[in-house]
Amino acid sequence: MSFLHIENLTRTYTVDSTPFVGVDNISLTINKGEFLSIVGHSGSGKTTLISIIGGILKPTTGRVLLEGTDICTLDDNRLSEYRVNRIGFMFQFASLLPILTAKENVLLPGIFSPGKNVADDKAAVDLLEMVGIGEKADSYPSQLSGGQQRRVAIARALLNKPDIILADEPTGDLDEETEAEIMNLFEKINQKHGVTIILITHNLNLAGKAQKKLRMSKGRLVDI
Amino acid sequence: MAQLSFFSVALKNLKRKTFRTGVLIFAIALLVSLLIFAISFTVSVASSLKKSSERLGADLVVVPVGARGFAEEFLLESKNTSFYMPISIIEKVKKIEGIEAMTHHTYLSSISGLCCDIMPTRIVAFNPATDFIINPWLQKSLGRPLQLGEAIAGAGTSENLGLGLLDIEATIFDNRFSIVGVLEETGTGLDHALFMTEENLKNIIESGKSPLKEGNISIIFTKIKKGYDPDYVGRVLEGEIPEVDVIARSDMGEKFLNTLADINKIFLLTTFLASVLTTFLVWAIFSAIANERSKEIGIMRALGAKESHIVHLYLVEVTVLGLLGSTIGVLAGTYLSALLTGSFSLLKNISAGLSGGQQATIALIGLLVGTTICITGAMMPINRIKKMEPLLVIKEE
Repeated sequence: MSFLHIENLTRTYTVDSTPFVGVDNISLTINKGEFLSIVGHSGSGKTTLISIIGGILKPTTGRVLLEGTDICTLDDNRLSEYRVNRIGFMFQFASLLPILTAKENVLLPGIFSPGKNVADDKAAVDLLEMVGIGEKADSYPSQLSGGQQRRVAIARALLNKPDIILADEPTGDLDEETEAEIMNLFEKINQKHGVTIILITHNLNLAGKAQKKLRMSKGRLVDI
Repeated sequence: MAQLSFFSVALKNLKRKTFRTGVLIFAIALLVSLLIFAISFTVSVASSLKKSSERLGADLVVVPVGARGFAEEFLLESKNTSFYMPISIIEKVKKIEGIEAMTHHTYLSSISGLCCDIMPTRIVAFNPATDFIINPWLQKSLGRPLQLGEAIAGAGTSENLGLGLLDIEATIFDNRFSIVGVLEETGTGLDHALFMTEENLKNIIESGKSPLKEGNISIIFTKIKKGYDPDYVGRVLEGEIPEVDVIARSDMGEKFLNTLADINKIFLLTTFLASVLTTFLVWAIFSAIANERSKEIGIMRALGAKESHIVHLYLVEVTVLGLLGSTIGVLAGTYLSALLTGSFSLLKNISAGLSGGQQATIALIGLLVGTTICITGAMMPINRIKKMEPLLVIKEE
């Protein structure tokens, strides 16, 4: 049984009464611990694809099987459990809650999974140290640089020890140096913790750091 | 070690816009204080009237026809009024079936300078042989019967009379009286009277300074035998003796309570309008919050928050808000009630007060109403918040 199997996945939208295909009959298998990158132009369907994999969007047709379970058939509560326990999200913008400190932002997914081992301050600080900003644990997002905010988001994505990290243009607005640092972190997490990473980027150099590279165009997947 | 929780996130949310939070708390506090004041006002007055009539210990009060209002004013509101009927009524009342015991009072109003050297006050002359109203109080405070030429002051009268020390002398209707003490507070209108036995009335009448005539009394208190319905006996009394009106214990203060009912309507309308306004304010502010925080909610949903988690988070926020506002409202309302109740001319002479249990119940009602209104106002925006699609957040940027 494959770790993550995507089967004939299609997602259509209707925009101003005109049907629009976001993802067009995609099939894909991803192994556990794989580092996969997907490149493509804006509107090619990258975000739609990882949104379906992440359980925040239902496909029109097709299935997403994680270790044999079709997540597309789960109800809202079970999808939320799937997201909090198995998925770590990183968005293409600073996604921290401004009222929470870096440490509290890292701990946020913990309050949505009370059944799991409850993460305490130490777990959050350890994660922040792992991403290199342990000293910023008590800083608010407004006191952090863009790169530091991304590191906090990575630490948060790791809190519940996910199987998969879905990163949607996580370095989009960062300078090259910070971008490289963040990519090194992803590589480290993938290699050291065996977390499967699906990275979406428009940057071919960054995509090159992944073990497997795919391109999306008009909702379809093409090998590079 | 401190854990992040829904409660701590909700508190941080409340702190992020302190002015807005303050406005909401103020609005809820205002509503609850109005509610607490209205309830305290009506409950204290109604229970004071009930207590007063119970403490009098009479099942039926017989007064001259047309003097029902005056009698209630005298007994419950401490107003200076005089009303008389012939003493022969006593014999007629005695003949009515079901009467177990009866006693009568004669009331006088002193007029300063003309007859008396004390402040204008009400004088109650009672028959110590039959009395069951004053005697128990007298026994408790003085420990012996009153003698001819002696008077005792009600708890609320001592100040008016300038009493503070016992055994002072006063001229009342040209007769010298020794004021031998002060009764304990009874919570009735009689607290504002001066008491003497009716054997003093002969001398007072002879002085010619009072409107009282020989053979007149003001009121008859009756106790009803077990097994008889006081209302039925009262109707028989009124039917058999056309010169009297009868007030049952349960009807005591009816006129006053009717006035109070009108005041209640105003309170009810004001509180209702304030509740609608507060609900609308909470709705408007939480609708704004839903828009402001849509991105954060989407992020939380993507991180694994269930719809119930989002509802939980915002319910905690609105409940904390409601409880804070309500607590301030309860304190302010209780303080206002204590401060303002006495300033209502309607209540000037009533010993309006609430027991600890009543105060606790009213406070609980205030907390519940304030918090419920807050939650009701926020429910619609919260239901909208929980439906927020996490994908929208990702697509927004």
